[in-house]
Amino acid sequence: MSDPLFLLGKRHNGPFDRLSRDVLGNVEAVRNAYAQHSRARWVALDSEALVLLASAVRAHDRWHRLLLLERATTARRELLHALFRVVVAPDDGVRLLAADELAEVMSDERADDLFIGGVVDYDDKALLLYRGNLDRLVIPLPWFEPRPKAARPDFAAFAVTDFGQTIQFGEYEAAADAILYEFDPEARRRMKMREIKQDTSFGGALRRLRLSRGLSRSDFQPLAAKTIARIERGEVEEPHGDTLTAIAKRLGVRPDKIKSY
Amino acid sequence: MAFSLPLAPPLPAQGWKVKIRDRERNEPPHVTILHRTRAWRFDLRSGGFLDQEPDPKDVPGEVLAEIGKHKELLRQKWDEMYPENPIESKEEGDE
Repeated sequence: MSDPLFLLGKRHNGPFDRLSRDVLGNVEAVRNAYAQHSRARWVALDSEALVLLASAVRAHDRWHRLLLLERATTARRELLHALFRVVVAPDDGVRLLAADELAEVMSDERADDLFIGGVVDYDDKALLLYRGNLDRLVIPLPWFEPRPKAARPDFAAFAVTDFGQTIQFGEYEAAADAILYEFDPEARRRMKMREIKQDTSFGGALRRLRLSRGLSRSDFQPLAAKTIARIERGEVEEPHGDTLTAIAKRLGVRPDKIKSY
Repeated sequence: MAFSLPLAPPLPAQGWKVKIRDRERNEPPHVTILHRTRAWRFDLRSGGFLDQEPDPKDVPGEVLAEIGKHKELLRQKWDEMYPENPIESKEEGDE
């Protein structure tokens, strides 16, 4: 379940109206809400809301996160960054879902596992994604490597689509759950709990991880493909020592993390 | 390039989509049925759902009928996109 959500600003009869019964409209209400919750999400509907926030909020010792629906000046953004743990704003390069999808994702009980937007950092070859709980996740761009016979990701055409369930780079698409499975251990645990049948063995985890890396069994030399197959089928004891280290190195994970996949 | 199965009306207007994206959780082979904020993984090998949640009963029979009608096309698309995890053929190391 995501953290509580507070709306600030004037009602616009827009999609965000359904998110919260009351829109906080004065300094006292904002101050009380901020004080009563150690973690919360805030949505500023307009620039007046920012004036209200700047007047009411003083501390920065909690997990409060803010989504702005309108652009803010640099000075105002800096101020908000001083008051909130995370500030998501429609600034240069930041792409957000359309307002109706944005509102639906943030009100969804699975908001933590859906994305609302993000920004591509070309210099550092990374994608910063914002989740429905307004937390952030950083994905290295090389992770979106093109598959054989597949379109190359066009990072300039970045968008979040399908109500936060798909990351799009032109004709290339990546599933949000594939990203979360790889980069968020908590989300991975939630997903595994939802599965109907789950092979919880080391071999099952090795197979899932190997396929998610696009590797064949012959990619683990000097270990033979037949050895990898026998480990995956549980026909031999869990590997340890040099064998485990070699497998983990090829998969790019720590040896003790393989079973979490 | 991601593959999106063209669905018969009125399913697209109702927000239903069936996709194989370029980067999926790819074991076992599956298509993803998308509807607004929810998604179901449907196994291309067994013809069953891979997850208990969301409830598979919430997927209309018409969507499943479309998948069944185009099953061979979907299996072919999967194999093209994920040759290291094919639907039927044995992998290296299998005996």
